[in-house]
Amino acid sequence: MKSEASKIPNAPPDNFTPAERTEREFGRLTSKEHLYVSQHISSEPLPEPIMDEPPYFILICTYLNYLILIIIGHIRDFFGQIFYPADFKALTGQNGLAPWYSGFESFYVRRLKMRLDDCFARPICGAPGRFIKCFERITDKVNVNGSYHYTGDVVECLNLSSYNYLGFAQSSGTCTDAALASVEQYGTSACGPREQIGTTSLHVECERVIAEFVGKPSALVFSMGFGTNANLFTSLVNSKCLVISDELNHASIRFGVRMSGASVKVFPHNDMEALEALLRAQISAGQPKSHRPWKKIIVAVEGLYSMEGNLCNLPKLVELREKYRFFLFVDEAHSIGALGPNGKGICDYFGVSPNKIDLLMGTVTKSFGATGGYVAADTAVIDRLRLDIATNVYGESIAPPVLAQIISSLNIIDGKVNPGEGTERLQRIAFNSRYLRLALKRLGFIVYGADDSPVIPVLLFLPAKMPAFSRMMYEHKIAVVVVGYPATPLTSGRVRLCVSAALTKEDLDRVIEAMSEVGDKLFLKFSSGIAGGAKKKGEAPRWALDDVLANTARDCTISMA
Amino acid sequence: MSTTTIVIPESLNNIHIYVLDLYRRFAGLPGASIVIGYIKASYKDDPLRSVFELALLLFAVKYFLSSKKQANKPTLAKLSEKEVDDLCQEWEPEPLAFPLGELEKWQLADIPVTQGSVGPHACVDARDVLNLASLDFLNFNSNAVIKAAAKQTIMKSGVGACGPPNFYGTQDYHVRAEEDLAEFLGAERAMVYGQDFNTNTSVLPSFVKRGDLCIVDSGVGVSTQNALKMSRCRVQWFNHNDMDHLEEILQELQPGLAEEKPITRRFIVSEGLFVNFGDYPDLHKLVELKEKYRYRLFLDESYSIGVLGKTGRGLPELFGIPRSSIEITTGSMALAFASSGGFCVGESDMIQHQRISSLAFVFSASLPPYCARVTSTALHLITNGDLTSEAESKIVASLNTKSESLSELFSSDRSLQPFVLVKSIPLSPVIHMRLSPKYREMLQLPPVYGGPQSAVAQAWSRGLEAEYFLDETYNLENFLLSKIVALCKSRDVLITRSKRILHHEVVSMVPELLVCVTDGVSVEELAIAFHVVKESILAVTQQVNNHTAFRRLEDEL
Ligand SMILES: Cc1ncc(COP(=O)(O)O)c(C=O)c1O
Repeated sequence: MKSEASKIPNAPPDNFTPAERTEREFGRLTSKEHLYVSQHISSEPLPEPIMDEPPYFILICTYLNYLILIIIGHIRDFFGQIFYPADFKALTGQNGLAPWYSGFESFYVRRLKMRLDDCFARPICGAPGRFIKCFERITDKVNVNGSYHYTGDVVECLNLSSYNYLGFAQSSGTCTDAALASVEQYGTSACGPREQIGTTSLHVECERVIAEFVGKPSALVFSMGFGTNANLFTSLVNSKCLVISDELNHASIRFGVRMSGASVKVFPHNDMEALEALLRAQISAGQPKSHRPWKKIIVAVEGLYSMEGNLCNLPKLVELREKYRFFLFVDEAHSIGALGPNGKGICDYFGVSPNKIDLLMGTVTKSFGATGGYVAADTAVIDRLRLDIATNVYGESIAPPVLAQIISSLNIIDGKVNPGEGTERLQRIAFNSRYLRLALKRLGFIVYGADDSPVIPVLLFLPAKMPAFSRMMYEHKIAVVVVGYPATPLTSGRVRLCVSAALTKEDLDRVIEAMSEVGDKLFLKFSSGIAGGAKKKGEAPRWALDDVLANTARDCTISMA
Repeated sequence: MSTTTIVIPESLNNIHIYVLDLYRRFAGLPGASIVIGYIKASYKDDPLRSVFELALLLFAVKYFLSSKKQANKPTLAKLSEKEVDDLCQEWEPEPLAFPLGELEKWQLADIPVTQGSVGPHACVDARDVLNLASLDFLNFNSNAVIKAAAKQTIMKSGVGACGPPNFYGTQDYHVRAEEDLAEFLGAERAMVYGQDFNTNTSVLPSFVKRGDLCIVDSGVGVSTQNALKMSRCRVQWFNHNDMDHLEEILQELQPGLAEEKPITRRFIVSEGLFVNFGDYPDLHKLVELKEKYRYRLFLDESYSIGVLGKTGRGLPELFGIPRSSIEITTGSMALAFASSGGFCVGESDMIQHQRISSLAFVFSASLPPYCARVTSTALHLITNGDLTSEAESKIVASLNTKSESLSELFSSDRSLQPFVLVKSIPLSPVIHMRLSPKYREMLQLPPVYGGPQSAVAQAWSRGLEAEYFLDETYNLENFLLSKIVALCKSRDVLITRSKRILHHEVVSMVPELLVCVTDGVSVEELAIAFHVVKESILAVTQQVNNHTAFRRLEDEL
């Protein structure tokens, strides 16, 4: 049982006026020049993502770093089991029961991740908008089970961690009013599965609004994005069908495909040649053993990859779809709202008609300040799914306040409500993304991803630099997310900055200054220049901070080279 | 893409396999036996660990030696490009989704759409109906305290949490709800998930892996069935609530398991109040057996928390058994608590492991903070403000009285007995009624639909969509029940029916009428509802009273 001391304290009251609070959740635009329209110019070729590589010694250090961590981990395991058996009871098993998990399986987590445990799951209070308030917490002895004491204080940090692309994480305004009204009118729950009782007129309206927004005839909405993918494929494919999946696809897609029992083939990330070769091989060979033709083939990709910041090559995928007649599934979890001149995601960005994509899936978690997922497709497909998707039949239905948030935010983006507000949000995220990305490149960081991506991964490589970076930024009162293995390849630990329309250019300047300082201290500026940002072609970019701040705002709206 | 990006297998689980494979290949090399002998001696019982480190080293070597260009795998067989082109041209895929047939379309229209609040009364098709289809057992969806708490939270935190729990998606309200759930249920720790249906599918596979063993009640719901499928463990089914059968299986397996080394993780899996039957297992016996045979117990209490026990703490309270006797408890917050999401409670180590490795927790955004707050508020309402209180909860007692009275009306009514059979126990707020075996025989209906070795299961494994999406008799029996539901609705009482899908389930089933009691409905209203439902059942069953009449229903589709 938990002692009182380790319970989370009540959030201390802040002394902001409502106007100040609004400003701290969504900063006012400071100059009309800090806007940009996110769009791929169709005459230009799709820029291939350039993955810059660090100097060899960085890689060698990374391996040595892991080696040392592993050796120390084993030594601690060895002596720990002798001297602190109580801390290891989950690993040793008791009363003739097997341990909860094996020491091997959990070695990484116990010995590597626990070292930076304080960088994860920091509890916060208040809407995760432009700033977030993190509870201060301390841990006394060697922390084996993630327990902390709270000091009762909160630290307000600039927020580059939340999925809040369009800045809808707010506790006042049009969307909040709609959510509050829906609580009054509908309550907090839909009271059962969609098929039995959980379909209110609000659900019907929300599905209509989503379908219209993404440009498909029909849509279904669910209370969780992960659950949407996890339960979608069983209703579409079976063991005689093939799903071809990008190697970096999200865990939920892999989960759903595995649940369906369909055959799975994986192609290297974004490699369209490999995909075509795979398609040709699979269509001509058919099912294994029987060599009967596949009943269906689905190619599953994401619009914007959340760990790399890469876009899928939609024009090429659509071309291949015409040629090979597979069904195209695009997960727009991160791209819907965040990309395209109208915020309609990857199709909008590339100027491709949504008709060319069979299944448009997305989540409303990242751009719209809500929670949940949707699938949009032709009516015949949605009709089947409506009756067959397990969540609709057996699981909870999405709750009214969330629906109200979705409907109102989509209406704002479309300009149906508060004309002008949606456009401003869209153009701010586009500018902010490019500005921060170019500035970091110029400083000499290795940055992955597409120019217009609001996800900006900055490479750290060494596992030891992850907690150091996170803590130093936290001292600058900037909240960032560091990710390492297993979410990324072992050697490319990174910090993932999520840009938001709620941030002002001045906020980003603060980030750039802090990152420049931390980058010098941690030796992170080692890009070669092949990914852009160099002053002169062929040179490694190492701009001075003042130079970056003085020129980047204008330059990023012209060219990202 | 350059070759520097290493492909890391999708989970640690796969590394096992990957490493094992590597290990086998390595063992075949000349001289390897000396190295292996050395490694084995240094890490007596965990050679995998050393191999993992070795793999790391090998990888480093490989990295420096690897060439920049990755050769494309040669395409299969010796077909010429032209032949492949032709084959690709010829290939005709089936439609993306199997289209709804004429016989199925009625099901779309059969989904009720409510206008406004779903409470004890609801507006359906512009009619005000008494709502006996809702799973809001404690009527919290219409509760002013709950609504005020939700609104207050939205005015503080907005709607979405905007991030996974580990990346700044955890708010004070989430932590508080977890503390409250643990305290209320008397468990060490708790955690909340974003959706109830995906809780089991993520909790169980965090612990149960390929080669582990689960002994499962054949009445468990789809989310648990899916969890077993995802964990790829060995599954043994015992007859629903049949403790003798369970013990028989445990006994039979015992000798083999005693020799296993290292011991595998073993679970007995059951539910608090079965979603499919509205009954509960003999928990005394379950606990006794799991202790005797050294298993852990996994219990899904989605339908029993807030319903069973003097204070709504679920099945263990009803049996006077401490929560700590159940290793893993999961549940839904979208039912009795009028919130959203699922939860899991148990000992600290078990919860901590999930926070880092459970897929639907790690790779999904947190629950909206207001939902967490609603859960906390609901718990305080149930316990009258004191989460550890032992005093009887008025609201739970009131629900129980109502459930029992309505259940009693249905099961004791003589005129209904030839036609329907009540499957649920009196305490279940969802009353499960199926057509009686005799009546079903009269209509020449099969004893059950689906299940192992059934035509549907075979069609599923052979990928025959036309056969697994539509079982005509099952469709027609459902239609018959929907006529009863529709007749009730025309008399302003909304009930519902099970809408289970054959190809999603590995267990067999019989369609049921579901009448759901919530605390917002008064005893008088329940009495009126009983008459409406009874008359509707009689009217429809008397009209369709033989095989021919049943088959003629097809014309109405
Ligand atoms: C590509 C992708 N799909 C699905 C999801 C899951 O969405 P949610 O967080 O709403 O469960 C995510 C979230 O991280 C994602 O990145």
